[in-house]
Amino acid sequence: MELSTFRDQLFTEGEKLGITELELYYEKQDSFACQIFKGEVDEYESSTVNGVSVRGLYNGKMGYAYTEKLDEESVHFLLDSVKENAELIEDEPEELFEGNASYEEKDFYSSSLDEVTTEQKIAFLQEVEKKIYAYDPRVVQSDYAGLQDQSVEKALYNNKGIALSDRNNFFFVAFSVVVKENEEIKSDFHIEITKDFSTLDADEIAKQAVEKSLSYLGGKTYPNKNYPVVFKNSAAAALLATFASSFSAEAVQKNQSLLKGKLNEQIASETVTLTDDPLLTDGVRSGTFDSEGVPTKKISIVENGKLKTYFHNLKTAKKDGVASTGHGYKSSYKGTVGISPSNFFVVPGEESYEQLYESLDEGVIITNLAGLHSGANQISGDFSVAANGYYVKDGKIAGPTNLMTIAGNFFEVLQDVEKVGTDLEFSPMGGYGYIGSPSLKIKSIAVTVD
Amino acid sequence: MLSKSIIEDVLSAALTTGGDFSEVFVEDRYTNNMTLQGGRLEKNLSGRDFGIGIRIFKGLHSVYAYTNENSKEGLLKAATTAAQAIHGTKTERNIVLPMETQKRETLHPIQFMPTNMEKTRKLNVLRNANEIVTNYDSSIAQAIISLMDEEQNVLIANSEGTFTEDKRVRSRLAIQAVATNGTDMQTGFYGPGAHQGFEFIEGLDLNHYAKEAARIAVTMLHADPAPSGKFPVIIDNEFGGVIFHEACGHGLEASSVAKNNSVFANKVGEKVASDLVTYIDDGTITNEWGSINIDDEGEKARKNVLIENGILKGYLIDKFNARRMQAESTGSGRRESYKFAPTSRMTNTYIAPGESTPEEIIENTEYGIYAKYMGGGSVSPATGDYNFAINEAYLVKNGKIDKPLRGATLIGNGAKTIQKIDMVGNNLGHGAGMCGASSGSIPVNVGQPMVRVSEITVGGREAN
Repeated sequence: MELSTFRDQLFTEGEKLGITELELYYEKQDSFACQIFKGEVDEYESSTVNGVSVRGLYNGKMGYAYTEKLDEESVHFLLDSVKENAELIEDEPEELFEGNASYEEKDFYSSSLDEVTTEQKIAFLQEVEKKIYAYDPRVVQSDYAGLQDQSVEKALYNNKGIALSDRNNFFFVAFSVVVKENEEIKSDFHIEITKDFSTLDADEIAKQAVEKSLSYLGGKTYPNKNYPVVFKNSAAAALLATFASSFSAEAVQKNQSLLKGKLNEQIASETVTLTDDPLLTDGVRSGTFDSEGVPTKKISIVENGKLKTYFHNLKTAKKDGVASTGHGYKSSYKGTVGISPSNFFVVPGEESYEQLYESLDEGVIITNLAGLHSGANQISGDFSVAANGYYVKDGKIAGPTNLMTIAGNFFEVLQDVEKVGTDLEFSPMGGYGYIGSPSLKIKSIAVTVD
Repeated sequence: MLSKSIIEDVLSAALTTGGDFSEVFVEDRYTNNMTLQGGRLEKNLSGRDFGIGIRIFKGLHSVYAYTNENSKEGLLKAATTAAQAIHGTKTERNIVLPMETQKRETLHPIQFMPTNMEKTRKLNVLRNANEIVTNYDSSIAQAIISLMDEEQNVLIANSEGTFTEDKRVRSRLAIQAVATNGTDMQTGFYGPGAHQGFEFIEGLDLNHYAKEAARIAVTMLHADPAPSGKFPVIIDNEFGGVIFHEACGHGLEASSVAKNNSVFANKVGEKVASDLVTYIDDGTITNEWGSINIDDEGEKARKNVLIENGILKGYLIDKFNARRMQAESTGSGRRESYKFAPTSRMTNTYIAPGESTPEEIIENTEYGIYAKYMGGGSVSPATGDYNFAINEAYLVKNGKIDKPLRGATLIGNGAKTIQKIDMVGNNLGHGAGMCGASSGSIPVNVGQPMVRVSEITVGGREAN
């Protein structure tokens, strides 16, 4: 069934059933992914999937349901589920957005990506893999060489006048390398995400992937104690991504954030400014409206260490008596409306990554964090996670450490940021926003070396 | 779900460019999610997932396409587009399936289909759990109780004549307690689940599960920071098995073994673990969370002994990796949904019980860490390096459990850690979890009796 037919039928039938307000959210995703192994295409995947979610106001309460099948049977399944689910719900009152706002005119879809053929993409993977093997004799395997090409189309309709649509796309390559020297095996990966295929440089990617892995060979143990630490940009971004939910008004209102009651207070050192920019041209999470139809705009969440606002959707904004910041979010049509940052990052400072560690007499550089999903308490901010990195002596990298754990508290780390680097990088991992950070120098963190 | 003639046409169209195997996976799934937070039902969502996955092999090449287009034209287009990625000789084959799908008696009987249950009955269970948690202690700030249930109907057909259907019904209750003393917040979690209907949820001993979640949160509020250094570590049963799931289980999956990306590759018959370790993956255990009747490639569930008394016996193998390894499928091909090509995955994996009593293990430990409830973790299959959080940890001193510890993380290498298991208890238990990997997030059980590892690196905030 066509989307417009489905929508009209749903809205008409819904009104007959006494559902007063009704919203239809549509998402269509096309993707192509492929992996090669030793020059040969090993996995190859193409897909087209769409689905809709519906929320509707019944007896003053909001009911939710979704489906991936757009047929007559689903119209009834959705409307019956909306009614049944609304009857039991006890949440704060919700309402749909009225459609008279104005929106930025910006297209985040890169048509140049459509012009790259599948053969060109595969040839690029083969070229990088070849260069990885040729780069150093200690490379024993390129154990992952893959790409993903993805485009997402979204549309939002409600019976209060909203009719919006937009689309976004990106291209992603990832390489993982295993290196071996004597009996020591190390592995690391390199990921690039772009809207312009021509910016990808096979030599540079191979170099990055191999050198990162090689840099961990010859690890040593060092005393377990508190060290001054430099978080390399990607590790800093991963840490911020883990705790970004603390800035959500939903977490605050539900007593699940220690940032409750801290508006306009100094929650980080003065060097820290955190910005959310949903209109970033290259942002994976860019869009001109959020999943409730609210127009988006660039805002500072933390300015020179002061907490300026939380992320709001319509529901949390109403409760706090403020306007939505345009951060209503659905992870897909399968979710209910929650809150998420869009492209959220630490604003770069003045010193390069090298300058950050050159000032250390003794310290540790953290390049990589693992186990953030389990070793971090998102509410308390406590973390104790596995890390890779290097030992620094007299301003120079002395060599890699064995596997480490670092333990600390995110809110203390924010206060302990001494310097912010210039090298802003976004972390493609994680689902809670597209999160970026430059490298950060932190006063002190507890380090345990295996 | 889809007519036999359409499936036959799709399987045939997929082979026109010279593929040697084609497969169709059809899924129609109904799910319900309810979340009670702060005593109020805040989330109540129903949904229907529907889609079709088409897979083609030619030698060691694999192509996958999925869509939720279900017209004959749409599916044939998806199949022929996918076939373009196979560069073989043009062939014409007419796949003919058996008259009817193969019927099997279920290993996991279901009494009450969750999709047919009144939601008020489900809500009652959520309310009861909420009450037990919030009444446990004055420091409990909140309870978050979720109920997830689903009915997944699948149809699997392939060019070798497999034509089979299955219904998977799963139910899980997740109980999270949040305790606070004003400045600090700690959480406790318990999430029992089963391959079973609403009878599982209604039959749960809430007094046990909800109280445990609350007790963990309150205990951790009064815990001291964990020390760091190398210690003997005692890991308790049930969810404690997560550490060997990550550190060994993933390394025994064909997806890493076939490409020699595992420390266990090419080691069948060799000693890889302490003599005390027998490690088993068993998808047939009645109604367990990770159990299956058939895997997502249509192969029947089975019990696979992976390590026996320390000797490596075998791997978990799916159809595609079986080709690279020149081995047979072990009924281990699993996927989250039609959106993922299946690969080798675990079902219910556990360390078989030994002879020590839990009391003996603790009494025999002079100084170490007792991990009562494990949190999650991750592993790099290539190196075997793992990391794990302990949700509820204690110091063990002079053979007795001492003060609770917070913020303890275990790091190490899986292949080395299983050599260092020096005591295995007799109290085998299983715990439900979700396992994420290349074929998506799937329900699995981890399990073990209490075990002791002679030495693991513990990372905490107190330098030693």
